[in-house]
Amino acid sequence: MQFSSRKNALILVMCLLGLFSANLALGKKKEQRNFVTQMDQPEMALHALNRLTFGVRPGDLERITTMGLDKWIDQQLHPERINDSALEARLSPFRTLRMDTRQIVENFPPPQLIKAVANGKQPLPSDPLKRAVYQDQIERMQEKQDRKQLTSDSDVTTSTGKASTFSDEERIDRRDKRVSADLAAQELLDMDPDQRLKAILKLSAEDRRALSNELKHEKRDEFMEGMTPEQRETVMALNNPQQVVANELIQGKILRATYSERQLQEVMTDVWFNHFNIFIGKGEDRYLLTSYERDVIRPRALGKFEDLLRTTAQSPAMLFYLDNALSVGPNSDFANGISNRAYKKAGKKRNRNAGRGNQAKGKRGGLNENYGRELMELHTLGVNGGYTQKDVTEVARVFTGWTLKKPKQGEGFTFENSMHEPGEKWVLGHRIKPNGEKEGLEVLHILARHPSTAKFVSSKLAIRFVSDNPPQALVDRMAETFRKKDGDIREVLKTMLHSPEFWSADEYRSKVKTPFEFVISALRATGADIGDAVPLARQLQSLGMPLYGMQPPTGYSMKADAWMSSAALLGRMNFALALTSGKLKGLKLDPGYLLGTNGTASDPQQTLAVLENNLLAADISRQTHDTIATQLQDAKLGGRLGDQTRLPSFSVIAGLLLGSPEFQKR
Amino acid sequence: MSITRRVFLRNGAMAIVGTTAIPGFLTRAAFGAELAGDKKKRLVVIFQRGAADGLNIVVPHGEPAYYSMRPSINIPRSAVIDLDGFFGLHPSLSAFQPLWRQRHLAIVHAAGSPDSTRSHFDAQDFMESGTPGLKTTQDGWLNRALHALPQASNRSAFRAIALGPSLPRILSGSEPAVALNNINDFGVGGRNPNAAPIANTFEAMYSQSVDSVLHGTGKETFEAVKMLKSADPSKYIPAAGANYPRGRFGDSLKQLAQLIKANLGVQVAFADIGGWDHHVNEGGTQGQIANILREFSQSVAAFWTDLDDLAEDTVVVTMSEFGRTARENGNRGTDHGHANVMFVIGGPVKGGKVYGRWPGLDQSQLYEGRDLAVTTDFRRVLGESVYRHLDNRSLDQVFPGFDNQPEKFLNILGLS
Repeated sequence: MQFSSRKNALILVMCLLGLFSANLALGKKKEQRNFVTQMDQPEMALHALNRLTFGVRPGDLERITTMGLDKWIDQQLHPERINDSALEARLSPFRTLRMDTRQIVENFPPPQLIKAVANGKQPLPSDPLKRAVYQDQIERMQEKQDRKQLTSDSDVTTSTGKASTFSDEERIDRRDKRVSADLAAQELLDMDPDQRLKAILKLSAEDRRALSNELKHEKRDEFMEGMTPEQRETVMALNNPQQVVANELIQGKILRATYSERQLQEVMTDVWFNHFNIFIGKGEDRYLLTSYERDVIRPRALGKFEDLLRTTAQSPAMLFYLDNALSVGPNSDFANGISNRAYKKAGKKRNRNAGRGNQAKGKRGGLNENYGRELMELHTLGVNGGYTQKDVTEVARVFTGWTLKKPKQGEGFTFENSMHEPGEKWVLGHRIKPNGEKEGLEVLHILARHPSTAKFVSSKLAIRFVSDNPPQALVDRMAETFRKKDGDIREVLKTMLHSPEFWSADEYRSKVKTPFEFVISALRATGADIGDAVPLARQLQSLGMPLYGMQPPTGYSMKADAWMSSAALLGRMNFALALTSGKLKGLKLDPGYLLGTNGTASDPQQTLAVLENNLLAADISRQTHDTIATQLQDAKLGGRLGDQTRLPSFSVIAGLLLGSPEFQKR
Repeated sequence: MSITRRVFLRNGAMAIVGTTAIPGFLTRAAFGAELAGDKKKRLVVIFQRGAADGLNIVVPHGEPAYYSMRPSINIPRSAVIDLDGFFGLHPSLSAFQPLWRQRHLAIVHAAGSPDSTRSHFDAQDFMESGTPGLKTTQDGWLNRALHALPQASNRSAFRAIALGPSLPRILSGSEPAVALNNINDFGVGGRNPNAAPIANTFEAMYSQSVDSVLHGTGKETFEAVKMLKSADPSKYIPAAGANYPRGRFGDSLKQLAQLIKANLGVQVAFADIGGWDHHVNEGGTQGQIANILREFSQSVAAFWTDLDDLAEDTVVVTMSEFGRTARENGNRGTDHGHANVMFVIGGPVKGGKVYGRWPGLDQSQLYEGRDLAVTTDFRRVLGESVYRHLDNRSLDQVFPGFDNQPEKFLNILGLS
């Protein structure tokens, strides 16, 4: 099938060659790019929306046409000129999105902080809401300790036969607690959300613990249905404060992608986060990603590459994720036992059990190559960018001492000279003179200006925006701009957007959407009103793309082969049906919005036509249209699966369209 | 050979419980039903993603250098499960001990890829494409392993399957392959019987799509959905004693066992388990590596138990993209290294033995002065499984450019 479409394209190109040959003979440019078949005007507008945003909304095409394509692109390239107040309003309930790391840690305490308060080393906060959170967590911790104590007690008493009676009592006690919590949960569910929250806060810390143990997944969604985001935040913080931070980050990501008018900025934020990927599941990164994405990535999404490189290198999130904070020069003062200040600051205790080998000579700590390697392989040069294992080790030596000051209290990057490897280093043939922190900056500068980096980064951008196999000529021109304009990302994008390759007819809807692109484009197409994005995040997880959940530093693939499989395809069809039939929690979908009526259209064929127009900009293949149209004549189809309270055919038709081959592509 | 061993063990077990039932595979063997290219033979490949630390998995406890290079993360001699006086299993691999004793588990140490890359991404890619150093290879070796095999008359959509949300590189290629995340979700509209017309509409849409990727994936998907529905694998509950630990990997193998037991014609299968990249605080007998090894070995052992008689026709091979540095780093972890260890488990395996030449851990013996050297190419081990177990004699297609003559095999598999 692909073959025949390629053949068609070839014929087209040959026709054009014939048509324009006279023209070419006159013209002087002989570059091959002039032969690329271009899209027609409406396709161009749709293509721009598909590639530069997270999906086409009903009416977008008309807006872009009225405004003019060039003007729209220019506006997207300057996000600061676009009013985004509607999005800001949606984000305002999520407090952690505006907090710095220190405030996040204080308001949503990690276990270490809870322990400190429980032991009286730190005071209980006076704010009643915060206080409740701390108290619940202390209760939870003590519960855990009691349980541990209990098991070790029963181990001891087994021989005397006392253990069984003891644990029976315990069991009865726990069952009672469970039963009462169950009743309480039902009672609370019957209240309106405001009363519910008040009642929860009145419970004793112990009862609240029992209650929250009862609220898992679906039940918790039900429990929070109708609550404002602030109310949800409080309920969740009582249960698991750390989860609040991760959840709000996810809310922010989904809401921004769906509703921001600064679409290109959000796409580019996603691009760079994925390029400088960090996994939220790695220890303290759970607290650090909010600031990482907001303060490091987004403001530089269309800026200079070297700025991104430097700020990611010095971000607590990256220093922690790729272990550089712990890397110690083997000949540094610290390693030689002259100072252990630095290591303590990085949150590590001195290794007291040091045994043989290095440690026997009194050495502590050593190089960690993790960041040095990924910096060159993934962030800059690319795996074939011309570095060796020796370069990896040398770069690791350069970055020793780039560490963190009190990460748990939310303080940031620091250069610790006592951990820094003394002496000169050689990186990619450059001699790096001993210069402390500045050695690292020098290396970042060398890497940012290296031709391999220009090529590698341009190629990644072209894969994201143009094609799974971008034409080399295009990548070369983008890389040229990258070098000439000092890694100016906006300029590199402009080169791409002015290229004939970007607008080649072959590239129209040629990219398979990633699960995130698929889900967000479906939300945008249907005008879904998201109240709580966490259930959507769960959907993304089962589609294989958990947000902030890519463990290796490679980030997610942006190519079709990673995302097209039977499991993925079924997952998409089921998501589409669940979305349109109102089965997804946390969001509202108004059929009237898409149908342009108050829900009175009754002719399925007409509904199909309207939905094709709104969900796929009326650009649908004959085959898909005919298949649905034929099936609609089958009386069973509409009535059975659809939500009976809605138009019989709305949810089915919309679900089929969002699950169609056309909607999987952008 | 293997059958005799198992018979012995089985007989022992039977004597205890006093059953008179004769295991099915024995009757099959007695009637000479084991045909060449038997479609019942299956190969399961498990990938430990993230570069597992082979030296702390199968521990060379007879090497003094091992202890001097890993002062804080070694596995003490007193803690290893000794295998042969020189190597020992990490204590968290105790679930493998019965398999070793029954000689169903073989180990190949110092195995790996000849390519020197220490990039996770590239090294995984090479191990899945089966062509180290060659990035242009489009398909995966496990897919190619099916090329020359005789087609069963009723082609199974489940001939090649991967457990997970996406189809891995190793199974991509011209042979249809299915990725499956969860048996219960594998269909349109879940268990709603009224969803059939919708499913049919989707099927028709995709079968007519001019997009070759979507068309192909759609076709494979709907064939698989139908097969799965009629076979109903969810009725195959794990066999007694098959205790899968909680977690994605255990779930994957549990579902794989269900599919195999439902007689869906699985010939090659793939599952993976991540979380081996221990740059910091790797741990020794306790800690990160101990925890993940427990999950890993208990899942595989449960899978083996669950397959019961069908395990006779199954070979499981494990691999990881590269090993880790022989020395621990400054953070009681290890960095990216070179050679690693592979497990081969199965009915026809001549187990109870550590295969491969041990290169040693002295400074002069280390690869680039820091890592365990590769003495067995991973394709040698995989090639033998493909050749002897799947009975695919065209190894030049499965591993192009690699001299994989049968006389060079390690003879891990007991078929002549």
